[in-house]
Amino acid sequence: MANLNIKSKQENTYDAIVIGSGMSGGWAAKELCEKGLKTLVLERGREVKHVQDYPTTNMMPWEFEHRGNIPEAVKKENPVVSRCYAFREDAQHFFVKDTEHPYVQEKPFDWIRGYQTGGKSLLWARQVQRWSDFDFEGPARDGFAVDWPIRYKDIAPWYSHVEKFIGVSGNRDGKPNLPDGEFLPPFELTAGEQYFKDFLRENYPEREIIVARCAHITGNQEFYAKQGRALCQNRTLCQRGCPFGGYFSSNSSTLPWAAKTGNLSMQHHAVVHSIIYDEDKGKATGVRVIDAQTKETTEYYADVIFVNASALNTNLILLNSTSNRFPNGLGNDSGVLGKYVAFHNYRAGISGEYDGLKEFTTEGRRPTSGYFPRFRNVYKQETDFLRGYAAGFSANRSMINDYSGIGDELEKAMTREKYGPWRVGSHMMGETIPKEESQVSLDPNLKDAWGIPQLKISMDYDANDEAMIKDYLEQMTEMFEAAGFTNIRTRDDKRAPGLDIHEMGGARMGKDPKTSVLNEWNQIHSCPNVYVTDGACMTSTSTQNPSLTYMAFAARAVDHAVKNLG
Amino acid sequence: MDRRSAMKQLAVLTGGVIMIPSCDFSEEAILQAYQNLNITASQKALLTRVTNTIFPGTTLKRAEEIQLQDFVLVMCNDCLKENQQQSFVLGLKQWDDFTKQNFGQAFSKMDQNEAADAIRETMSLEAAPESDAALLGRFLAITKQFALQGYLSSEYFMKEIKPYELVPARFFGSKKIENA
Repeated sequence: MANLNIKSKQENTYDAIVIGSGMSGGWAAKELCEKGLKTLVLERGREVKHVQDYPTTNMMPWEFEHRGNIPEAVKKENPVVSRCYAFREDAQHFFVKDTEHPYVQEKPFDWIRGYQTGGKSLLWARQVQRWSDFDFEGPARDGFAVDWPIRYKDIAPWYSHVEKFIGVSGNRDGKPNLPDGEFLPPFELTAGEQYFKDFLRENYPEREIIVARCAHITGNQEFYAKQGRALCQNRTLCQRGCPFGGYFSSNSSTLPWAAKTGNLSMQHHAVVHSIIYDEDKGKATGVRVIDAQTKETTEYYADVIFVNASALNTNLILLNSTSNRFPNGLGNDSGVLGKYVAFHNYRAGISGEYDGLKEFTTEGRRPTSGYFPRFRNVYKQETDFLRGYAAGFSANRSMINDYSGIGDELEKAMTREKYGPWRVGSHMMGETIPKEESQVSLDPNLKDAWGIPQLKISMDYDANDEAMIKDYLEQMTEMFEAAGFTNIRTRDDKRAPGLDIHEMGGARMGKDPKTSVLNEWNQIHSCPNVYVTDGACMTSTSTQNPSLTYMAFAARAVDHAVKNLG
Repeated sequence: MDRRSAMKQLAVLTGGVIMIPSCDFSEEAILQAYQNLNITASQKALLTRVTNTIFPGTTLKRAEEIQLQDFVLVMCNDCLKENQQQSFVLGLKQWDDFTKQNFGQAFSKMDQNEAADAIRETMSLEAAPESDAALLGRFLAITKQFALQGYLSSEYFMKEIKPYELVPARFFGSKKIENA
């Protein structure tokens, strides 16, 4: 700490510090500021202001030099991020390039990151399905990981709290394994999806297609106008940042709301080195920050600290926060910190065509799709693998042209389009089992540009995942065939873990400090003024997209923290 | 045997043997805008003839009117893997000689019908992968692919022919098609 910047301690003291301004950090900040706490949010990336820092948001397709494609030179230099579906010419500026923050892949892992105000909340797929007790009771019932210290009833009111504020479009489907929430009007299923839904009802009564709940504003305009947000305009260009604030991001919603209270301070380019633990006081007292640009070190102090740096970076910070009391990382008495990480299995998919419903098509664009809630092993164990998978399902019809000719034949063909068949498709979202050998740790030798150890990542698919892929492909093929779909093609793209962008765990919640890092309120067992409410806290992965649950945990934890402040 | 079949046979039998790439002794400057391609202004002009043959402007605008050749070159320069880039550049450099030897006339001297035939026939040749005919086929396939992509996503096409909506503000899942 040669260049320690010694400002007066008072000047750098806040009531609360939040590490990270993404999905869950934005929520922690909003709740803390609303409850009157002077809150400092530390963001390691640059500032991205809502609307004004969305440089591509109103660009037309022809205005992109490569029409959306990423140049080969960029791909060569950044193979990991180039594999992400959303890393395209219109949103590439919101992704971390491979070279910017290196890490060690003990096993292949595509780590997708967004270092800027709002983090990945600018880029997410906006899917917000609630978890249920079929998820929270999973580890205890099926004998893996540890029991979650909470149940659905503990988090349900916080789901509601979050949903009302962010805006969630959806149907009340009445499914016990995908509980209903506070919904704005739903998007429609397409005729093709409705056909498959009806087919299942007749032939597979325990399986159902619903329209996926998504964080888009589709009603209650006056309420959202207070956040400066308007109705979703169906642009489906969300990854560029939305000028209407039609989908939820920290940038459009929680951070400006927090700022309005006057209690928010934001520090950008603030790379957290570690959390400071005071042995005399027996608690954390602040955060050590390295300026990303000047490399200058500054310490900030607060009574309560929220760690929302994104699942794996939160692990990195905790592992790097060593002291005499915690030589192996903050709160790591149990030795489980960094272990039992997991992800979602997105390897498999299926596509086909449907020749019926010729008199129908779709019009406009929809920022969500159909959704197949988990139907495997829900009420009891029924297969040779544990847990199950949810799946996306969509059926769309597009216009087709015959582009095979050249000359006038081609020009005429471009003006002469006809309706093609319905194209149906699905991708799996499998729950994976957190295991001790799946872990992240600090590399003993390699450091990043800020002198912080690089994260070493080691997780992989296992036999359970392979069996689940097989079952997904078999079941989907069977249902597609029975429904009369043709040209059915299955795929297993063998992608590395990480591209699901749903990595979770490492600082899991649990009842027993000997086998978990966090308690039922997301507090570190042995350092309770530090709360972890991002993906790192997850005990198991469920099949549902996890962001909604992180946000609910963040709001719930702030409520707990504020009620327990001296 | 008609000319088309003869051409096909010739290409299959001889592969690249009869094709001798022309040596370029000219001092013509390399276009700096496409640093990975090393092509000259006259090669770009030849490419423009190719894209103008693909989109002659009889029903829609001619390729050149929407600068399609520039887009093809940008994409070849930036978004192609090295081996495809080589196919494109070598093909472009050999295209006039290839057509002269196989169609009796250099491409740049052909009228629209002849030029279109030369492209069609070359693209449909069944040639050994290492042959010049196959190389020229790859050159034309790459050119057509980017020309079509560029055309369909051009301002002209997306405004005047098939208007693109930036802000649809609606979605209907079951819209009845009139006269389905």
